[in-house]
Amino acid sequence: MIYFLQLIFGIVSTVGFAILFHVPKKNIFISALVGGIGWVVFAYCRNEYGGPLLGCFLAACMVGLLAGIFSRVYKETATVFTIPGIIPLVPGAGMYYTTLYLINGQLEKAATTGTQTLLMAGSISVGLLVVGSFFKVHYRLTGTVKRIIEKM
Amino acid sequence: MMKQVQKKIIIMALRAGEIMMKSGAEIYRVEDTISRICKACGIPYVEVFVTPTGIFLSLDEGGENSEMFTFLKRINGTGTDLGKISQINQFSRDFVNTDLSIEDGMKRLKEIAKSKPYNLWIRALGAALACAFFCLMFQGTLQDFVCAFAIGAASYLLSVGFEQFETNYFIKGFCCTAFAAFLALLCTAAGLGDSSGPITIGALMLFVPGVAITNAIRDFLASDMLSGLARTAEAFFIAISLATGAGVVMRLWVLFGGNIL
Repeated sequence: MIYFLQLIFGIVSTVGFAILFHVPKKNIFISALVGGIGWVVFAYCRNEYGGPLLGCFLAACMVGLLAGIFSRVYKETATVFTIPGIIPLVPGAGMYYTTLYLINGQLEKAATTGTQTLLMAGSISVGLLVVGSFFKVHYRLTGTVKRIIEKM
Repeated sequence: MMKQVQKKIIIMALRAGEIMMKSGAEIYRVEDTISRICKACGIPYVEVFVTPTGIFLSLDEGGENSEMFTFLKRINGTGTDLGKISQINQFSRDFVNTDLSIEDGMKRLKEIAKSKPYNLWIRALGAALACAFFCLMFQGTLQDFVCAFAIGAASYLLSVGFEQFETNYFIKGFCCTAFAAFLALLCTAAGLGDSSGPITIGALMLFVPGVAITNAIRDFLASDMLSGLARTAEAFFIAISLATGAGVVMRLWVLFGGNIL
């Protein structure tokens, strides 16, 4: 039930970003869905299983995967789904708490949170990277297979 | 002498590339689009090199006596307009697959370049929604939600104002988050919101460099290391501008005897 609520929150906030980024009208809901699902994956991992770093990684993988599939289905560039989808994962909260600890002079806590924030941004990147490479390999493989079949 | 046709092709391809770069497309997509357009016009040798700040394009007809033309286009300013990227993508697909004339192509490009983002008030509503729901996602209460809704719209309108005056991204990020953090602290102190934390996070999320991070990764993936590094640096500096903006205001607030709830 909590996660259903989180899904709604994720979807609505991604709709907001889709409007800011001028996503074409017909694709707004789909990119919002991608963002919402990514956020739920992250929230679940953060609370129950694996912590925020793994959560960011898996959520970014999910966003990349869904964006890749939807870009094929709707004949749209993947960017239209990835950019709004990735936004909820970007560690704005980590940035806020790092600043908060810094201005209170709690340098140790600031260093811990700051490192975690950087690593979270890094794991988003790695997640996208992994799925992106997977799609590249996939397209190349299917292309080669098609050519071989045509030759035969 | 340069043939008129070739000049038109170059202008059109560079125009398409410029629109894409200004809308925040990845490097490989821009290079791909430009070389596709040129090849569809029957030019055998096309070499493109795109960086976030400029496009280099070389054309050659092939053959012993043919001249080679190189053009350079400086790109100023970046933004995010996924609608334009999507439209140009559709345009290049149409241009390659159908025999669209160069004049018609230019006309379509001009239309795409003119296409406006959503109405300002709808965008402000979008910013307000995003800010308010991020506030909820980070354990904000219902009162915080209402504050975040207003603050999100206000700080987004401020950022649009900064864009009108073409201030640089650092000042824009700094001032907008400072403004948002100040309003959040003020609302909490006045008893409208329960805690300023979630509200400020919601407002921060509006300016967070998600696009720069995503594009940097896609550039690295396509082994465009130069622009990947440039965009990573961009993301890093935007993050610093946001953190200092919020940090300075919070520090001053504490110095003047306020509490951060």
